[in-house]
Amino acid sequence: MISVDDRLKEIGEFIPQPDDDMLVCRCEEVSKGEIRKAVHAGMFTIEEIRRFLRCGMGLCQGQTCSRLVKSIVARELKVSPAELEPAVSRAPMRPMEMEVLGRDGGDR
Amino acid sequence: MGRIKEHPILGEAPEKKKVTFRFDGKTMEGYEGEPIAAALKAEGVMVHRYTKKRHEPRGIFCAIGRCTDCVMIVDGKPNVRTCITPLKEGMTVQTQYGVQAKENGKEGFDETI
Amino acid sequence: MKRYDLIVIGAGPAGLSAAIEAAKCGMKPVVFDENARPGGQLFKQIHKFFGSKEHKAKIRGFKIGEDLLKEAEEYGVEVVLNATVIGLYPEKEITVRIGDIVKHFKGDYILIATGASENMVTFKGWTKPGVIGAGAAQTMMNLHHVMPGERVLMLGTGNVGLVVSYQLLQAGCEVAALVDAAPRIGGYGVHAAKVARCGVPFYLSHTIVEAEGEEAVSGVTIAQVDEKFQFIPGTEKHFDVDTICVAVGLSPMSQLLKQAGCQMADLPGGYVPVCDEFGKTSIDGIYAAGDVSGIEEASSAMIEGRISGVVIAADAGYLSEDEKQQKCDELEKALGGLRQGMFAPKNRGKKLETTEEGIRLSESLLTKGYIADDEISRYPGFVKKAGVHPVMECTQNIPCNPCQDACPKGCISIGENITSLPVVVADKECIGCGMCVASCSGQAIFLVDETYEEGYASITMPYEFLPLPEKGDVGTALDRSGKEICQAQVVDVRSTKAFDHTNLLTIKVPKDMADKARFYRR
Repeated sequence: MISVDDRLKEIGEFIPQPDDDMLVCRCEEVSKGEIRKAVHAGMFTIEEIRRFLRCGMGLCQGQTCSRLVKSIVARELKVSPAELEPAVSRAPMRPMEMEVLGRDGGDR
Repeated sequence: MGRIKEHPILGEAPEKKKVTFRFDGKTMEGYEGEPIAAALKAEGVMVHRYTKKRHEPRGIFCAIGRCTDCVMIVDGKPNVRTCITPLKEGMTVQTQYGVQAKENGKEGFDETI
Repeated sequence: MKRYDLIVIGAGPAGLSAAIEAAKCGMKPVVFDENARPGGQLFKQIHKFFGSKEHKAKIRGFKIGEDLLKEAEEYGVEVVLNATVIGLYPEKEITVRIGDIVKHFKGDYILIATGASENMVTFKGWTKPGVIGAGAAQTMMNLHHVMPGERVLMLGTGNVGLVVSYQLLQAGCEVAALVDAAPRIGGYGVHAAKVARCGVPFYLSHTIVEAEGEEAVSGVTIAQVDEKFQFIPGTEKHFDVDTICVAVGLSPMSQLLKQAGCQMADLPGGYVPVCDEFGKTSIDGIYAAGDVSGIEEASSAMIEGRISGVVIAADAGYLSEDEKQQKCDELEKALGGLRQGMFAPKNRGKKLETTEEGIRLSESLLTKGYIADDEISRYPGFVKKAGVHPVMECTQNIPCNPCQDACPKGCISIGENITSLPVVVADKECIGCGMCVASCSGQAIFLVDETYEEGYASITMPYEFLPLPEKGDVGTALDRSGKEICQAQVVDVRSTKAFDHTNLLTIKVPKDMADKARFYRR
């Protein structure tokens, strides 16, 4: 497995782009620049990026942005989006109130 | 904008019961059971909320309950997806600022969130 | 915990079809759907579907949805609405939110038919109110009878972008332009042509620079892009619009399958479960059908669903191996029919130059949305002869043949191969009934009579707009590009139940316009 340091050298410096300010994750308001910077800070997986920036962790649960985030990360890492493992898929699949989750009846 | 009264394929819009609701203090009309967002759209309302960080306006985006961009405060409850929540007589609908309504003229952005 | 024979997740075309087939065999399936009404996206599809009789061709999508619901009821399929499946576990246990509680169910078999969600692209201002998905536009206008906007720009020229643009026009909205970053139109040429002849311009190799407006969209700037999709400075064009519709493809909503631990594949068409031809995933007893296993048309999703339903029923012991084989063969043949032609999954991304018959494709159709005047005569559906006769401007190989069955006189032939271009049969006499015009889902058939009157020709065209012109009205004829070409007088308007809301408008134009006039404006 390639080490983080090697990969960071490989992908080079973070170079600002004119559209870095553009929002990608609409719910958590995460910009393209923030995602690109996170990659250069050593986050190479969608899972890490999500936990670090919260993109895809908002109300819609990545419904709109997950593909977009993936392609930005892939471009930054100079790999195909298909090579990136998508974020873990977890229940609940849709946003819901904690009180409803709390009323999970189990198998009764 | 407004409503499509007669459509070349779908014919006349089905007759539904008219109801009134309150949007940010104004009285508006819509049809019972239609999504709140449809009633607002027909009344020309575009902005449903302002975001938490950038305070930017948002409105209808997916219209099927997926994107959650159209959430508003409905009968005091925040984050209600207006595109899939049926309109009822007497509902109170408020523009959502961050996750709150505007209170006492002060925008309710909760900076601690 | 309640246990079911078969749990279907998603009451769209695939899910309902699967449940119906399973129920036919004696199973007792339950279908959960998060929406308030069943049918998935079918009820927003107000256009006539393509295919042949077995695919319910020339029937409008919402009607197919109604029929499907009736069939489900007839076979006792239990459909639970407002029931959001929030988790799927390898032991075939699901958690469902119903009302304000979370319930658990187990199924001997589980079929995932959760469909797809819309892809998005980012551009400056894409989060502003007024930028909406094409599906949102369809939902607003076709389900809720509310106009999505007054003046709309459509981004994306796949079938969704084209069909929704036409539906926007039908709803009374103005469509300012259709824009696509790709150099060629992605959807069916016939869908593009019916939008283009209304006068909507196409901008290929263009994309959105910025959505403008303070609180909501008030305008949009587009610009041309080079082969690397970079903006070419100086090519900017501005439109005053209040709505921007985005139709840039769909992605399978396969999260539940991933959560369950099914083997997944990241393909160009999306993140999908690895399935066999019957929709069986890597986990025993978990199946997938419809868009969630790969984006296709609703017609294909329905057949895929039926196949999965049959295979599940057989696996569960409700069908013998022979019965299963017989049903599957039939369904697979129907599915195979739909997966042919220029737009077949196997041709995705390929740049085709000619039709299966070896005729050069219309370059103008692929870049501007209409067939150029000097291109039309090379297609077999375009004929010139005395008296009234059909002119079929069908120039791409798509699996569709209702026109052949529609003609009571046998004037139109497609032949064995469902994707072949229609041919006018030489020795058969057209009686001008117009059944072919109304039957063509692509609205590509016209009746032309060049000897209508001294110096005048008549053109009969499909017309699906309001207000409907009346006999005697005088307006303007438009050519295929939507350009006004001459004065036109309405000489006949026909609407019958058999035409299913496709009115037949006959206009009289100067004889030299017979090959050009294809639309009418009041």
